[in-house]
Amino acid sequence: MSIVRNFIQDWSRYRKGIEDGGFHEYEHMWGMVIDLDKCTGCNACSVACYAENNLAVVGEDYFAHGQAMHWMRIERYWDEPNLGDKASKDTQEHGASFMPMMCQQCNAATCEPVCPVAAAYHTPDGLNAQIYNRCIGSRYCANNCPYRLRYFNFYSYYETSWPSPLDMQLNPDITVRDKGVMEKCTFCVQRIRTAKSDAKMDDRKIQDGDIKTACQQTCPTSAIVFGDLMDHESDVHLLWHKHQTKLGTPKQDKKNPELRGYRLYEQLNTEPSVTYLERVREV
Amino acid sequence: MSNGKLDRRDFLKVMGVGGVAASVAACDGPSYITSEQGAEQVIPYLSPEEYVIPGKGVWYASTCLQCPAGCGVRGRVREGRVLKLEGNPDTSLNAGKLCQMGQAGLQNHYNPDRVTAPMIRDGGALKEATWEQALALIEEKTGPNSGISGSRFAWLTGPTSGHQGVLLKAHLEAMGSSNHFVHEVINTKVWQAVSRDMLGQSMPTLRLDKAKLVLSFGADFLGTWMSPIHFSGQYGKFRSAPDRGMLIQAEPSMTLTGANADLWVALRPGTEGILALGIANLLIHKEKMDASMLPAAARQLIDRYDVATTSSNTGVSGDRLVRIARHLKNKSPSLVIAGASAAGHAEGYQAVAAAMLLNMVLGNVGKTILPTNEFPFPQLKPIEGGTADLGRFAKALEAGQLDVVFYDGANPLFAAPGHLKLGEKLDAVPFKVAFSQFMDETTARADVVLPVASALEDWGTHVASYMGDETAISFQQPLMEPIFPGTRSTGDLLLALIKMRKPGPFDEIDDFYGYLQSAIGTIPGAIKGDGEDEINTQLWNHILQKGVLEVPAETTTFETSIPAITLSDHSDNAGYPYHLVPTPRAGFYDGRHANIPWLQEAPDQITKVVWNSWAELHPSMAARLGVEEGDIVKITAAGGVIEAMAYIHKGIHPEVVAVPMGQGHTEYGRYAQGRGVNPLSILDPGNDGKTGEMALYGTRIKVEATGRAGRLVKTGATETQHGRKIVATITGDQLRRTEGS
Repeated sequence: MSIVRNFIQDWSRYRKGIEDGGFHEYEHMWGMVIDLDKCTGCNACSVACYAENNLAVVGEDYFAHGQAMHWMRIERYWDEPNLGDKASKDTQEHGASFMPMMCQQCNAATCEPVCPVAAAYHTPDGLNAQIYNRCIGSRYCANNCPYRLRYFNFYSYYETSWPSPLDMQLNPDITVRDKGVMEKCTFCVQRIRTAKSDAKMDDRKIQDGDIKTACQQTCPTSAIVFGDLMDHESDVHLLWHKHQTKLGTPKQDKKNPELRGYRLYEQLNTEPSVTYLERVREV
Repeated sequence: MSNGKLDRRDFLKVMGVGGVAASVAACDGPSYITSEQGAEQVIPYLSPEEYVIPGKGVWYASTCLQCPAGCGVRGRVREGRVLKLEGNPDTSLNAGKLCQMGQAGLQNHYNPDRVTAPMIRDGGALKEATWEQALALIEEKTGPNSGISGSRFAWLTGPTSGHQGVLLKAHLEAMGSSNHFVHEVINTKVWQAVSRDMLGQSMPTLRLDKAKLVLSFGADFLGTWMSPIHFSGQYGKFRSAPDRGMLIQAEPSMTLTGANADLWVALRPGTEGILALGIANLLIHKEKMDASMLPAAARQLIDRYDVATTSSNTGVSGDRLVRIARHLKNKSPSLVIAGASAAGHAEGYQAVAAAMLLNMVLGNVGKTILPTNEFPFPQLKPIEGGTADLGRFAKALEAGQLDVVFYDGANPLFAAPGHLKLGEKLDAVPFKVAFSQFMDETTARADVVLPVASALEDWGTHVASYMGDETAISFQQPLMEPIFPGTRSTGDLLLALIKMRKPGPFDEIDDFYGYLQSAIGTIPGAIKGDGEDEINTQLWNHILQKGVLEVPAETTTFETSIPAITLSDHSDNAGYPYHLVPTPRAGFYDGRHANIPWLQEAPDQITKVVWNSWAELHPSMAARLGVEEGDIVKITAAGGVIEAMAYIHKGIHPEVVAVPMGQGHTEYGRYAQGRGVNPLSILDPGNDGKTGEMALYGTRIKVEATGRAGRLVKTGATETQHGRKIVATITGDQLRRTEGS
């Protein structure tokens, strides 16, 4: 019985947010805020991600089969369910609706427990990591991801993606993935590692702003904010706090429900580390 | 070592490279390599070159040349290779940010289809040659003994500025010619002409961040207009609480900026000016705004465009006009701008002037439109490009006025409308020299091809057309050694050409770098102390580190005047009832980036299509034609026919078909060649009456279904959210309750 009791206790502790004195053995809790009202859907983040993370260009045929490797992709929708159905309108009344989508770095990730070889695991930084050389390509994780943010190497895309001298651009800080391996957004883990090691060399703690993800750094409107949710001075924490979004709950219990922060599909209890701020339209 | 045996000493010797090499060769070869084999990968750890720390990236500043905006970049260099570009945070132009084209500058530089050696046409085909042969041939054809001089010689280039511009002009002078044709499809020449006439300066500073409402007539300031990253930065502030600004965009087909509008207005092409005057009419008569600053002629003109007239011309409902005018009255200061789709008509100048008139009625001049400081060095000022020069160039060719044409940074054979018949005309020019990185359409028909260094391998200085607050010279420096030893710096080549033609002040200068340094040395206080002759290396290095040199600038004031504006009513065309919009988009731009695999694979922002062309249709048009997404439609203009797969959405006027610029290359390497269609090829003849810029949006077409279907490859299986909360949207009122002041 004590096993069950421990399990339940641990589970409820695990389910609590870091603010509520929950599972506290994290060193950092990397998180993000994306202001959809500032996002213009320009795609700069996506191409920056290709450049930073050695993402393969798969070509038109593979793309048609849904094999594109865009870790950061911009989804575009034409309707606005929150503002009511405008389907009867003759032409578009407002602009389009853009959604930058990358791995939400869930803290109760649905991809992790299904991996038969524990290639998908959780780091002490709160990252949802993928160990490429452990991955056997079962694709259970991608099957379980409600956001469709995991990308599988069905072929050895690298053979055609970087004809010489394009290969000279490859980022040596990370690998080039081969056939049979699942990959996804890492929150630019190589940048996190470099910043951590630099901070250690300087004998100091990581400061807010030391780490910029590639998408954040290039974002022309500064719609993306990244940082440590456990650092209560960090921009990302302040924004989560301001919009009363918290980890550790499948449903935000906001004092002011009109505030803009929300996590995508959080009702699925995945605990995403990304808060989106609702887009605004004058109507 | 020779037998594959490894003693301890050899083992230690190769360990430095073995770690790297072993992982490369692990699968099919021995897991070690000799020091000799690995020599090129060895970095001497004990005495590394300056700044080279193995495994550590170092950032160098330069200037992005992927579009003419001139953003500052920083390149991360590691082990002698540039790996990543970011915006340069030390510039106020782009403040550390970059667009997708800027990010993809790397794949321009590392492109596998670069031209790597000079080529000379021999027996009809281009064949590789040595630099000596190529330059000897150029000397024979354009040197002092060639007999070529004066107006028989021409340069056709893209926009340029800074010291490359100085050298270009010096070369023209040495040739005794004044024929410099500057071609740029995506430009703001009409806006500049209007600003010059109405405000007294061509590039006023625009402050979106100070505006509470931006009304844009097709100005895609987030994508392709003027300085998109600068304006995106302002847009971020414009969209910030507590005083979040409202964006209204009126255009024939949705641009990226339109896709972010609070109110998007589908407009019949060519009626932008009428819409602007119709709004002015409402502001004066309904909202009772003061228009006493306008001359009587302008007020009479505005009076003509009551709601009914405006509505019937533009296709915009009366309610909506009233709503726009009400917003403009209430949200002051505002900002009215007009871009490509307003300017690209026979009355383009008039339409843009009508938009500027609206700024005057609204009192925006001096609030959100401010005078720009005067750049102090006229010889370095940007040499602006447009499409009017392509027409002038074609005329000069037709008259047989040119014997020698040099190209650099322009691909007229791709961008020219078919009616100009530029291909035939150019074939008649006896000697054509292309300075080129790639075998594009124009280069492929040149007589001599000179492979030039990429933007990341070359020196240069750049002065942005739109500078905003900061008056500065932006520096371009090589971020790595040339990848291909057969390529040369454009600046070096220009110097060689000048010296070849005529002895003069450049004879003492060895190379472009030396010229650049000595030229910057003449700017007071830049890199020399007071009364010093020698260049202060520290100051020079500081400029290169920063990437920009701010220069003293004089403040200016506006001199406003209001020109006479004349606009015709919209007219039907029975034979060609619809309008073609050749969409410019950040990505392929005018087609120059179609050879970049990242940008081919980057979905179009609006349609999400990759690797191909498409035709955007309104659902009502699609229903009339009986086509569905992916079906191929045939678009016929007087000047030709193109076919493309249909993409159907409501972000387009029902009488418009939009086809993106950029695809349809017949040359230009493995990624671009033979993909999609080029809408520029079927444009109708016609220019803006005032500036001579091509009427890019003035083409009339008919559309038919072909009965065939293709495979439209795009991201996303669905166009709607199916009621889910994915992109959640709230109203401005709700925002004001929570984050308002």
